[in-house]
Amino acid sequence: MTDAAIVTQKLTRRFGNLIAVDGVDLTVAAGQFFGFLGPNGAGKSTTIKMLTGLLAPSSGRAELLGLDFAAHPVEVKRQIGVVPEGMGLFERLTGAEYLQFVGRMYGLDRPTTQRRSEELLDFMQLSDRPKTLIADYSHGMQKKLALAAAVIHGPRILFLDEPFEGVDALAAGALKALLGRMTERGVTIFLTSHVLEIVERLCSHVAIIDKGRLVAQGSLEELRAGVAGEEGSKTTLEQIFLSIVGQDGGQRPQLEELSWLM
Amino acid sequence: MADVAHLPGVWEQIRLVAGLRWRILANNLRKKHNQWDLIGLIFAGIFGGLFVIGLCFAFYFGAYSFLSGGREAWMALLFWAIFLFWQLFPIFTAGFGVGFEFRTLLRFPLSLRAFYVIGLAYGLADFAAIASICWLAAMILGATVANPSVLPAMLFVAALFVLMNITLERMIGSWLERILARRRTREMFFALFILFAVSVQFINPLVQRYGRTAQPWVRQVIPFLSVFPPSLAGRAIAGAAQNHFTDTLLGVAGISAYMLVFSLLLWLRFATQYRGEELSESAAPVRAPVRPVSRIAGGADALRLLTPQVAAVLRKEFRYLTRNSFAFFLLIMPPVFVLLFTTQFAGKHPTATKHPVSVEFFFPAMMGYLMLILMAPAYNSFAYDGKGIQTYFTSPVSFREVFLGKNLLQLAMLAFELTLSMIAFSYLVGMPSLPLLLATLAAIIFNFTGQLVIANWSSLCFPRKLNFGQMRGQRQSGMAVLVSFGTQILLGGISAPILFMSRWTGDKWVPLEVFAFLAAAAIAGYSSSLEPLASLAEKKKETLIDALSR
Repeated sequence: MTDAAIVTQKLTRRFGNLIAVDGVDLTVAAGQFFGFLGPNGAGKSTTIKMLTGLLAPSSGRAELLGLDFAAHPVEVKRQIGVVPEGMGLFERLTGAEYLQFVGRMYGLDRPTTQRRSEELLDFMQLSDRPKTLIADYSHGMQKKLALAAAVIHGPRILFLDEPFEGVDALAAGALKALLGRMTERGVTIFLTSHVLEIVERLCSHVAIIDKGRLVAQGSLEELRAGVAGEEGSKTTLEQIFLSIVGQDGGQRPQLEELSWLM
Repeated sequence: MADVAHLPGVWEQIRLVAGLRWRILANNLRKKHNQWDLIGLIFAGIFGGLFVIGLCFAFYFGAYSFLSGGREAWMALLFWAIFLFWQLFPIFTAGFGVGFEFRTLLRFPLSLRAFYVIGLAYGLADFAAIASICWLAAMILGATVANPSVLPAMLFVAALFVLMNITLERMIGSWLERILARRRTREMFFALFILFAVSVQFINPLVQRYGRTAQPWVRQVIPFLSVFPPSLAGRAIAGAAQNHFTDTLLGVAGISAYMLVFSLLLWLRFATQYRGEELSESAAPVRAPVRPVSRIAGGADALRLLTPQVAAVLRKEFRYLTRNSFAFFLLIMPPVFVLLFTTQFAGKHPTATKHPVSVEFFFPAMMGYLMLILMAPAYNSFAYDGKGIQTYFTSPVSFREVFLGKNLLQLAMLAFELTLSMIAFSYLVGMPSLPLLLATLAAIIFNFTGQLVIANWSSLCFPRKLNFGQMRGQRQSGMAVLVSFGTQILLGGISAPILFMSRWTGDKWVPLEVFAFLAAAAIAGYSSSLEPLASLAEKKKETLIDALSR
């Protein structure tokens, strides 16, 4: 498959006896807005870490834009942008300083870095307090800055781990528009989120991981087709997710046990 | 409707808080990387216990000898010692970290009265309070053995004194909590603390020089101290011992008045906290001003000789250094040490020893000591990067560039500090002979470059996150400290005999030649170490990210 942006083969990661990611075979086509879903502890963040160079796989391989990550890490990193789980910001820099630092780390020249930093800070509405350190930003502001840093070099693949968490509705709307434009221009976006409505609205394709194993993958229509919904109504992603991940009833919390609350 | 049958009483709530604090401590020690801390805690406990018990004897004999020797008025000295320790010790440890936040209890259904009482009880679970109460008990015992009739007065005054001290300590503590909640004030606090620590070093030379002239001034000040609580406590006990009950009543009334005032102020402070007090630093978002045209950086890049990545890391490291008040203020230490040591061991200062150390020995020894201080942070060079370490791993750079950027700043800092120290040295003591000066400079290059190789390796293998503006709990990894000492002892052990080779060979230039060769070898070694270190960084990335992103 020549137009695949991300291909993983038997991607596995063990932590001692725990298999966090178990032989994941994933294919994401270039330009797709791809949602990667799973319950807490399913292996989403571990997979993203392996795909972005933050964690080495125990076995298996990951290929990004046709390049084997293990063999060409620097070349791959040059073409991807990442908002990692903890955002990975240098908190004692100001927002502008951090963006300039990241731009230069990606090899952009100074004027380009400066111009893009200012444009991104304006877009993210972070330019009003230029001397404020990132440590003093709110969570949502830090998230927006991490997003700005992830796109400053114009990546071809963007990895976003819970990108909208803590971001206000106004900024979230602008971000969604920006991400939509990026996919139109051929950028592949790989996104994890617990907010299924966001994934359903933004993503054309979805994969679901549970207990380290990939349990579903395809376009939303393909996944809907595999799940029998109520006649006449469109099956939501939440229904699809629950029907796949919550198949063994033991996972669902039993409300009857909390009778004293009701 | 909540189905809470009844609220627990104040004592039950105190018991719950004590249990919570114990669980936090125990759970913290269960973590693997904190198990070494348990050993440290045990040692600290033993030393703390010995310190308290040792001083218990001192307070016992002090009280006994003052009352049995007819020097009752001197009891105030013992109360002053306890008072100063009780109030100052928590201040010096307060800013060194964020402990259990007492205010978080406000989410529970507590009355203001319960909050106040728990706040006071919380003040008792403090090393200074426990130690002080032990010393007061020793004083009571000593005073009673010397003069049994003072026991009731001792018990009453000691109880009042304890209450007054707890109230005052909690009042100061709650204000400190408010002040230290802000990063900037916290960092200013540390700057003041470091300046204080530095100033203390000069007490001895100052006392030697100005001690006699200051005595009349000190005598004038002492009578004013009689209106403070420790003097009042001493007066009450002295009055009881001499049957001057007016003095006892005045002393007790004075302490009680202080206690009432402090209680009122503490109540007002707690009431503010109880009503809800915002201590966070984030300001409300402000609408961005419209900026029509973006400015584009003009002029040449001052670091254009470096690759963009190395220049970026260097700039970031410089910014981090200037924003880390603790590390930044440590930079004043080297010239201060030169000043301090020259006033003690060499030079023209009147307090210097009558037989000053030869400049030919003193200069390299001083430079070696300064290297010891300045190189220590390099052994854990990612300490302040925190979660930002992930940026290095997601960026298309090799760790070769990262190390180059970090090491270049270390070089610049060392060069600046040593130059400053040498200027101070030449002014205070004079410079050594040219061959020794050049040999020392070559030795510095050899030591610096050699240490960088090991320090970079140590930074990858034994990382430990350190927080800006905090000192408590901000220890380097034990292994990093061990590696640092081992390396410095090894390289210092190699350098010392070479420096003094000329005494045996008779040729003054031999040390310079040997060090020039060693420095060249060390630079070559450093250069060839960067690639293997970059590979090692890739292997150690999980450890690094895990240790620094906590």
